[in-house]
Amino acid sequence: MPQLPLDLPQGTLDLLILRILALGPQHGWAISERIHQVSSRVLEVRQGSLYPALHRLERAGWIKARWGASENNRRAKYYELTKSGRKQLAADQSEWKRLTAAVAQILAMS
Amino acid sequence: MLLEGTMFSDLLFRLRALLHRKTVETELDDELRFHFDQQMEKLAQSGITPEEARRRARLIFGGDDQIKEECRQARGLHLLETGVQDLRYAARMLYRNPGFTLVAVFTLALGIGINVAFFTAYKAFILRPLDARDPGQMVDLGMVLHTGDSRAFFSYPDYEAYRDRLRSFSGLIAAGGDNLVLADAGGNILDRSSTDGSLSGLLGFSISSNKERAATTFVSENYFSVLGVAPVRGRLFGNASELAASPQVLISENYLERRFGGDPALLGRAIRLNGVAFTIIGITPRDFGGTGFDVPDFWIPFGLAPLVESDSLYLTHRDQYSCRLFGRLAPGTRMDQAQAEMNVLAGHLRTLHDPQSDWSKPSTAFLWPGSPLPLPINRLSGRFRYAVLLIMGAVGTVLIIACANVASLQLARAMSRKNELSMRLSLGASRRRLVRQLLTESALLGMLAGLVALAFSWILTKGLAYMAAQAIPAQYGTLIVHVTPDLGILAYVFAVSLAAGILFGLVPAFESSRSALPSALKANVGTSPVRSRRLHDIFIAAQVAVALALLIAAGMLLHSSIHALEVDRGYNTKNIIVLQVPNDPKYTPGRKAAVVSEFRARLASLPGVAAITSGEVPFQAGRRAAVGLNGEVPSPQSKRALIDYSYVEPNYFEVLGIPLLFGRDFHAQAGLNETAVIVSESAAQQLWPGQNPIGRSLRLGTDGLFHGKGELTPDGPLYQVIGVTGDTHGASFDDSDAKHVYLRLPEDRLQDHTILIRTQSDAKQIMPEVFPLISSLDPDLEVNAVTLEDIVHVTASVFLPSFAATIASPVGLIGLLLAAMGIYGTVSYIVVLRTREVGVRMALGAQKRSILGLMLRQSMRPVLAGLFAGILLATGASYLLRGALHGLHTVDPVSFGGVSLMFIAVSLLAAYVPSRRAMRVDPVVALRYE
Repeated sequence: MPQLPLDLPQGTLDLLILRILALGPQHGWAISERIHQVSSRVLEVRQGSLYPALHRLERAGWIKARWGASENNRRAKYYELTKSGRKQLAADQSEWKRLTAAVAQILAMS
Repeated sequence: MLLEGTMFSDLLFRLRALLHRKTVETELDDELRFHFDQQMEKLAQSGITPEEARRRARLIFGGDDQIKEECRQARGLHLLETGVQDLRYAARMLYRNPGFTLVAVFTLALGIGINVAFFTAYKAFILRPLDARDPGQMVDLGMVLHTGDSRAFFSYPDYEAYRDRLRSFSGLIAAGGDNLVLADAGGNILDRSSTDGSLSGLLGFSISSNKERAATTFVSENYFSVLGVAPVRGRLFGNASELAASPQVLISENYLERRFGGDPALLGRAIRLNGVAFTIIGITPRDFGGTGFDVPDFWIPFGLAPLVESDSLYLTHRDQYSCRLFGRLAPGTRMDQAQAEMNVLAGHLRTLHDPQSDWSKPSTAFLWPGSPLPLPINRLSGRFRYAVLLIMGAVGTVLIIACANVASLQLARAMSRKNELSMRLSLGASRRRLVRQLLTESALLGMLAGLVALAFSWILTKGLAYMAAQAIPAQYGTLIVHVTPDLGILAYVFAVSLAAGILFGLVPAFESSRSALPSALKANVGTSPVRSRRLHDIFIAAQVAVALALLIAAGMLLHSSIHALEVDRGYNTKNIIVLQVPNDPKYTPGRKAAVVSEFRARLASLPGVAAITSGEVPFQAGRRAAVGLNGEVPSPQSKRALIDYSYVEPNYFEVLGIPLLFGRDFHAQAGLNETAVIVSESAAQQLWPGQNPIGRSLRLGTDGLFHGKGELTPDGPLYQVIGVTGDTHGASFDDSDAKHVYLRLPEDRLQDHTILIRTQSDAKQIMPEVFPLISSLDPDLEVNAVTLEDIVHVTASVFLPSFAATIASPVGLIGLLLAAMGIYGTVSYIVVLRTREVGVRMALGAQKRSILGLMLRQSMRPVLAGLFAGILLATGASYLLRGALHGLHTVDPVSFGGVSLMFIAVSLLAAYVPSRRAMRVDPVVALRYE
C-alpha cells in the first residue's frame, strides 16, 4: 500500500514555491504538480494553501505575475521570481540547510 | 514578514488591489478556474467519466469562496476594504440623521473655525516670510549687545560695511521708514478727522494735522533687485549720479489707487516730500510690502534721505540706528556660516562706535530666517508670547467645549442606537470593529466640520483683514495680511478636525461598545443607564465651567476698561485739545518763538476757546529726575526717589482742573522767584512724610536720565516748595506716576512745550477750526492736534483691557452658545429615553408640574457643578490677569455675579424647552410603546 502524501511543515511552502520558480516562470497548477513529482509524490500542496501563499509572495514583492498562454493554449497566470525573491530564496535555502543539519545531528545521537 | 523598505510598494500593491477591485476579483476567479480545469483533465486522463472527474476535482478543490477570501486577505485587501465599508456606512448614518449631523457639524465648525482663524492670523503675522522671490534664502540680521538686549536696527555706515565686505550674502539690503509731509500731489484731499469712535480711532490713529502725510520707506538702492521684484510700470532707481541730479521716488500701487484713484498720468510727475521735489519713476506691485508688514505709500533710496530728514548726519553717523538689514544667502552658504562671518566683521566695527555707546562693547551677531518681525519669536518680549499663549489657550478651549458638546450628543445617540449595535455584535462583529466603525463616523463628522470651518474662517479672516486695511488712513500705508488659506493652513485644519473627531468619538465609542452587550437586546431600554448619564453630566459641567471662566474674564476686562475711563484722574479730560508744533529745521529758535506766540494769540481769539496754557499732557511728561533733600546734590548713585517733573505755565492747573490743596500757585505775585516749585500730594508725602511741605527745599538731578537735546533741565538750583496740588493719575496701573514736581515754565521757552486748550463746548467741533488759523500764519508750519480724551483712550490702562475684552467676549459667547446647545440636545435625548418612566409616573398620578421639576432639577445639577468649577477657574484667571486690570478687586462681583446669572438663565431655558415635551407625554401611549 502506497504511503499517504505528507502535509508540509509550517513555513516551508514559501521556500518550495520560490525554489520551483527559480527554474523558470510557472502557473499555479504546474507548481503544485512539480512539487508533487519532484518530491516523489511525498508532498502534496492543497489549493487552499497554494494560492494564498502565491498572493502573499506577490504582495511581498518576491514574485510577480503576468498572464500568458498555457501548454494547452489557455489563459493562465504565470508567476516568476523577482530580484528580491532570488535573494530571499538564497537566504531561506541556507537557513533551511542549517536547520535540517542541526535536526539531523540531534536525531543521530546514539 | 515585510521589510521596512518595502512598505511603500506594499501600500501601492494594496492600493491597486483596492482601486482595481473588479479586475483583481476576475483574475482570481480565472486563476482558480484554470487550476480546477487542469485538475479535472488530469483525473479524466486516468480513465474515469467526465462527471466523476468533476465530482472528484470538486472534492479535492474544497471551498471556492474560502480560498478566495484567504487570497484576498493575503493580498491585504481586507483592512482597506473594511475601512471603505465603514466610511460608506458612516456616511449613510449621518445622512439618515440630518438633524444630529447639522447640529454636530455646525458646533464643531464653530470650534474649528475659530482655531483656524487664529492660526491664520498667527501665520500672517508671526510666521510671515519676507515678500521676496525665494524667501527661504532671505535672512534678517541682528545683534545681541553685552547687556543681553537684542537689536535689529543698524546705522547706515555699518550697513555699508556689511554690504561691501560680507561674502556670505549674494545681496544685502537696508530698509527704514518715516512719515513725510506730502505736497503738490493734487487729487483728492484726505479727510482729516474721520476717526470718531471708528476702528482707526481705536487703533490710535486719531492725531490729525494740517498737513497731508505719506508713509515712506527708505530702501537701499539694491533693495528691489535683491528681493527680486520688478515694478508693474515705470522703472527702478537709477545710479547714484542720476539720483543726485534728480531725486526719484517709487509709488506703491495700493497708494496710487487709494489716494489718486489709480491715475496712470501720475508716472513721471513731480510731488514734494518734506518740501523736496521728487519724480515718480515707477509703480511697485499691489500688496508688495517688501521687508515690512505694510505697503508704504512711497519708496525713497537711502542716499536721498538727507534731503528730507532734518538730521544732516542721517547717513554718516555710526550711532544713529535707522535701518534694518536683510540678506540673501549666497548659493551654498548656510545661515551659521554667514553668521560667523558677520560676527567677525561686527568685532571690527565695534571699535568705530562712540565709546559711550553700547555698540562699542562686545556683542554677538545673529541671523534668523527672513521675517518682517524685528526679532525672532523666541526673543520677543515675554508679555507678547504670554498674550499669544493666552489667546491660543482661549480658542483651544472653545474647541474642547465643541468636542465635549458633540461627544455628549454622540453618547446620547449611541443610547438610542443600542439595538443596532448589539445586533451587529451578536451577528459576529468584533468589539474592535464596532469601535472602529464608530470612530470612522466621528472622523467623518470631524472632516465635514473641517470643510465648513474652512469656509467660515476664510470669510471671517478676509473680512477682518479688509476692515483692518481700511481702518488705517492712507498716510500710514496699507497693512497687508495674507489670509488666503494655503497648504499649511489646510494641513492644520485637517489635523485639527481629525483630532477633534477622534477626541469626541473615543469616549462614546468605547462607552457604547461596552454597554451594547448582546444582553442589551432583550434588556429594558426604557430607562437611562446611570453610568453614561454621569458621563453626560461631566461633559455638561466641563462645558459650563470653561465657557463661564472665559466670559467672566472677558467681563472683567471690559469692566476694567470702563473703570479706567471713568476713574477720577485728578484733572479734566473733557473739552481739552492738545496741540504740538514739531521742530522744523528751517526755523531758528527765535523765529519759532515768535510764530508760536502769534499762534497762541490767534487761538485765544477763536470763538469757543476758554483758556490756553503750555505744559505737558499729565501722563506724558516723560521726564524723571533724582531728588536730593536738605541741600544735598542728587547723584546718579542715590536715585532712591525718582520723580516725574514738568515745566508748566502758571494757569496750567486751572486749565486742566487740577486742584491746589495748600499754599500758593505760580501766579500769586508777579516777580515770583524762579526757583519756586509745586509738588503733588503723593510726592509731598513721600519726600516729607507727616510734615508740612510748604517752604521745604529740594534739588533735582537728571544726570544719566533721558532728556532731549537742548531741552530745559532742572539741574542745579535749590528749589522751594510753595504749594501742593492733587495727584494726577495717568497711564500706569500702579499710580507710580502720581508723584510729580511742577516747575515754572519761563516765558521764553513756551515754544518747546505742548499747547493745551480748554474749549467751551465739544473739543472735536473746535479742532477743525484750528488748522486754517495755522495756514494763515505760515502755510509751511505743521501742527498736530488731538483731543485729550483720544489720548486717554489709547493709554495702556484703557486700551489693553478693552482690546483683550474684544477678543475674549466673542470667544466666551460662542462658548456659552455651544454650552446651551449641548444642554438642550442632551436634555432632549434624556426626555425621549425616559418617556416610559415619565409615563409610569404619570399613570401613578404624578402632576405635570412635578414632572417638569424633576427634569429641570436633574438637568440643572451638572450646570450648577460647572458654575462652581467655572468660578474657581475664573478666580485663578483673574489672578493671572491682575496686572492688566485697573482698579478692580480680584473677584469682581459685577462680572462674576452677572455672568453666572446669565448662565443659569440660559441653561434653564435650554433645559426647559425639551423638558416641556416630557410633560406632554401621554401615559397610555408611553406604556403601549413597549
